[in-house]
Amino acid sequence: MLEIKDLRATVGGKEILKGINLTIKPGEIHAVMGPNGAGKSTLSYVLSGRAGYEVTGGSVLYKGVDLLDMSPDERACRGLFLAFQYPVEIPGVASATFLKTAFNAQRKFRGEEELDAMQFLKLVRKKTTELGIKDDMLKRAVNVGFSGGEKKRNEVLQMALFEPDLMLLDETDSGLDIDALKVAADGVNRLRSPERSALIITHYQRLLDYIVPDFVHVLADGKIVKSGDKSLALELEEKGYAEISAA
Amino acid sequence: MKNRTPLAQSYLDRFETAVSTLPGHESRSVQALRRQGLDTFAALDFPHKRIEEWRYTNLSALTKATANEDIPSSDLDVIQTAALDAPFEMVFINGHFSSDESRLKELPEGITLGSIASSLGNGAVFSLSSEEDRALFALNTAFMEDGFSLHVDDHVQSETILKITFRNESGDQNGRHIRNVINLGIGSKLTLVEEHTGTGSYFSNPVTSISLSEGAALNHYKLQNESHYAYHLSLTDCENAKGSIYQNFTFSLGARISRNEIKTTILGSEAESHLNGAYLMRGKQHCDTTTLTEHKVPQNISSQVYKGVLDDDAHGVFQGKIHIFRDAQQVVGDQLSKALLLSDRAGVDCKPELEIHADDVKCSHGATSGELDEDALFYLQSRGIPEDRARKLLIEAFLADVMESIGDTPVKDYFNAIAASWLTEA
Repeated sequence: MLEIKDLRATVGGKEILKGINLTIKPGEIHAVMGPNGAGKSTLSYVLSGRAGYEVTGGSVLYKGVDLLDMSPDERACRGLFLAFQYPVEIPGVASATFLKTAFNAQRKFRGEEELDAMQFLKLVRKKTTELGIKDDMLKRAVNVGFSGGEKKRNEVLQMALFEPDLMLLDETDSGLDIDALKVAADGVNRLRSPERSALIITHYQRLLDYIVPDFVHVLADGKIVKSGDKSLALELEEKGYAEISAA
Repeated sequence: MKNRTPLAQSYLDRFETAVSTLPGHESRSVQALRRQGLDTFAALDFPHKRIEEWRYTNLSALTKATANEDIPSSDLDVIQTAALDAPFEMVFINGHFSSDESRLKELPEGITLGSIASSLGNGAVFSLSSEEDRALFALNTAFMEDGFSLHVDDHVQSETILKITFRNESGDQNGRHIRNVINLGIGSKLTLVEEHTGTGSYFSNPVTSISLSEGAALNHYKLQNESHYAYHLSLTDCENAKGSIYQNFTFSLGARISRNEIKTTILGSEAESHLNGAYLMRGKQHCDTTTLTEHKVPQNISSQVYKGVLDDDAHGVFQGKIHIFRDAQQVVGDQLSKALLLSDRAGVDCKPELEIHADDVKCSHGATSGELDEDALFYLQSRGIPEDRARKLLIEAFLADVMESIGDTPVKDYFNAIAASWLTEA
């Protein structure tokens, strides 16, 4: 699914990722944990193609194709989904319009027929019901005036709609109460399948109680310094990053 | 000996011929009015950058001797899109009323619409005046040829949309000095859409005087979609009596250099003046919006909201002044100007101005300019929306609230369709 080799990246001239190696196979859930400033968010932005993050070395293959060559929208259309740490507020763009535009753009890319407004609304209603999300936010502008929890629910709803092959969760647990956390975890778990993978980027172990990873990696100073199974997350929680990174 | 601009000199040279051939040439009062206009203009010349109100708009490209010599042979750039479905339309071609092109049969009762040329021909100048301070007004007075004269009787409330279209093309050197007069009777109501369009290079200088009687309501829309080689310098004056409501929305896309100058004078309590607009400019276009709102009496409301999208080397200007006279207590005045810059070379000058001589008033003003939100752009792209579509969505979102202020749905749909075509051309 995803093959990262010796990935190096700079932001504003400063090297943040200093040679990342990580392979995710279909069906696997990987967690990347690390202290603040380790390069966690940079990793998620480099993978999703945000401007301003310059790749200076290494390669990333996604389903066997060079991911770094693709525009952010092409990555999304090919099944990559980034759940933002801070979902962006977009005044003046109605959520329903945004979701439908994105959904149909992805279908068009794949050569599938676009859904009309009625068909799409039906689909969204089905997803919101499944996830226990109120659909009144569809009428509001994208994320505008949403609480932190609502914003994350909106990310989960999008994930459910787009049914991505690779989910990137960037600090999805930050600022969430336990109920919202469960909704987010439920969204990911529902999509879990032998064909789908996830990369969960997080500072705390908490989210991993609800989304149980197959592998856990520790990111420190732009490199993966340790890998293991889910027990590594618990160990980290107990001992802290300093000790593990130094080990 | 005064050093006049070449264009001003050419108007002076042409005046004696004009005054004996233009509409109303047989009327002494029309001649006198024209002379008065000419004298004022001769003393002022065209506005230049040393005049405070014209600091940001340079007319030298228009007034220099070689003006109009670089007329392109082909027309281009005017946004063409679905037409507005208006039951009544009055059409002016190159500044002259065209009865053939117009659809004015069975106008609703109580609405009188005529051409200024025929009013001038009858020597009827009572509703026309010259002006001491504004050169373009005076020039218009000296050379006015045609325009519309609209009167709505007391208590006539029309639900239909009346459209006035001005179609221009390059040609003679006289310019298009359109003069319009609008009078709404007590408690009357009307929706009016002005559309200015054309091909080639020309100078359009329309002057519109509006008078709203007690309780009258005018929804006044203007689409400035002139040729990109044209100059469009317009003046609109409106006087609001007690309880009257003036809503102006100006949508500007055309002209090489354009200026929409609107002056509203509130003379009665509980009156409202709302001046809104949007401008979409690219290439080397320059669009100036200058408003002056005068509150002369207590208890009334005014607002101005303008939003501009500027690409390439385009330049926007917003000058908005709210003037509250000494006795005008309990007045509410709000003003907002926002510009979205799509290129590093695009720019905007904003000059909000409050002159307040009363102490119990509520006024606000704000002016911002900025680029597209890169975070929002990335968010949309990260969901699979291609970059150009994402940009379009964000520009439409920027314009959304001011476009939403258009009260008449057919006009709103029409303007939104034009905005969408403009965005598609990007």
